[in-house]
Amino acid sequence: MDLERYSRQLVLEGFGETAQQKLLNAKVLVIGAGGLGCPALQYLVASGVGCVGIVDDDTISRSNLHRQILYATSDIGKLKARTAAEKLAALNPDVEITPYPIWLEQENILELFARYDFILDGTDNFESRYLINDACVLLKKPLIFAAVSGYEGQLAVFNLTDNQQQCSNYRDLFPIPPTAGEIPNCEENGVLGVLPGIIGTMAAAEIIKLITGKGKPLINKLLHYNLLTQEQYVLQISQAQNYTIAQSEDEFLKMNYHNNCALTEAYSEIDISQMQALKEIESTILIDVRERYEVPQLDPQIFSKVPMSELEHFLETDIAAEHIIFLCQHGIRSVAAAERLSEKYGHTKKIYSLKGGIAKWRNHF
Amino acid sequence: MEIEVISFGKIAEFIPQQKISLSNVSNTDELKVYLEKDFPALAGIKYKLALNKNIVQSTLNLNNNDVIAIMPPFSGG
Repeated sequence: MDLERYSRQLVLEGFGETAQQKLLNAKVLVIGAGGLGCPALQYLVASGVGCVGIVDDDTISRSNLHRQILYATSDIGKLKARTAAEKLAALNPDVEITPYPIWLEQENILELFARYDFILDGTDNFESRYLINDACVLLKKPLIFAAVSGYEGQLAVFNLTDNQQQCSNYRDLFPIPPTAGEIPNCEENGVLGVLPGIIGTMAAAEIIKLITGKGKPLINKLLHYNLLTQEQYVLQISQAQNYTIAQSEDEFLKMNYHNNCALTEAYSEIDISQMQALKEIESTILIDVRERYEVPQLDPQIFSKVPMSELEHFLETDIAAEHIIFLCQHGIRSVAAAERLSEKYGHTKKIYSLKGGIAKWRNHF
Repeated sequence: MEIEVISFGKIAEFIPQQKISLSNVSNTDELKVYLEKDFPALAGIKYKLALNKNIVQSTLNLNNNDVIAIMPPFSGG
């Protein structure tokens, strides 16, 4: 044991080498090396948690840097999991750090979770959160749930039995995932960088308390934190009876985590009759993304012309319309345009692509 | 009967913290109907109620000066 490194926590009343040894023996998996994951990872690794896994398949982008404080400007484009692992290894070489630059799926999650004692969910979407929750319930794995929205955060500890014999999970709060667009994500809603810093750090504190047996972790409690007022509101969670959850690996593998989640496509493909119906709505814009020389030429009064070659320029302007329909010759470029636009607007606008394009519905143009 | 309503996240944007006087509302199920009628945006999103800091799993009777918290799920990270 590196007594000097841990000296300031070793001298803590009631901590000592016993608690430190518990940390050194513990295995924690952090999912999402983002705003919540970065500070949590730093404190877990610094405190001497023996084994730390980092799951994130994403790469570092410029807009991450205001809150994902493990990364430097020169890291843009690199994998988060690997970059975080490198920096953390430099922080504390005692810790065995394993990066997993993968997307969690039903097929890989159980085997991965089985290797760790505690799971920290610091992801940014409901699909992952329900998948992680259900995997933890199945494996009876303690789950530390951390999430932020705007200026507020939520923190909870699930799958541990309290002295009232209660054992809750995320579905006791929200049995089914919100539908797409129901709850705004950080891209749409914004987040002050320091907020996930606070909530992620609190999550690390909960894990350290759980490992060492200190204090009162938030077992079966949901903590609400408001950055603007510094107010905390702690709610007691009891078990609900009104949901189904996988009880076996077979059932788990048959669950569908892709429907109705915020992560589902932010645009939809429509046919000509749906397009005609949407056309009647005042706040609809129809955009032909074919190049200017392509035929048939469409009525410019009805169809705005934004060739793919000009799309990036077009994206710099703000679109007032609520419904945005893209079309092209075969419905392939229009999907690309819809995808690109949904990156900008997420679920705040209704974005469509005409399936099959002008070629399929030739008689209607 | 008067109760206090506290809400979080997106819900706080249309239901600010307030005291409301209720007549013909005696339990949390009836309160949900009342709130969704008064604040139609609430009907469109998932939320959970807590009565005096306890999550409501099935309807509970309301008493004068109870505090109801309304919270949406958060997913951001």
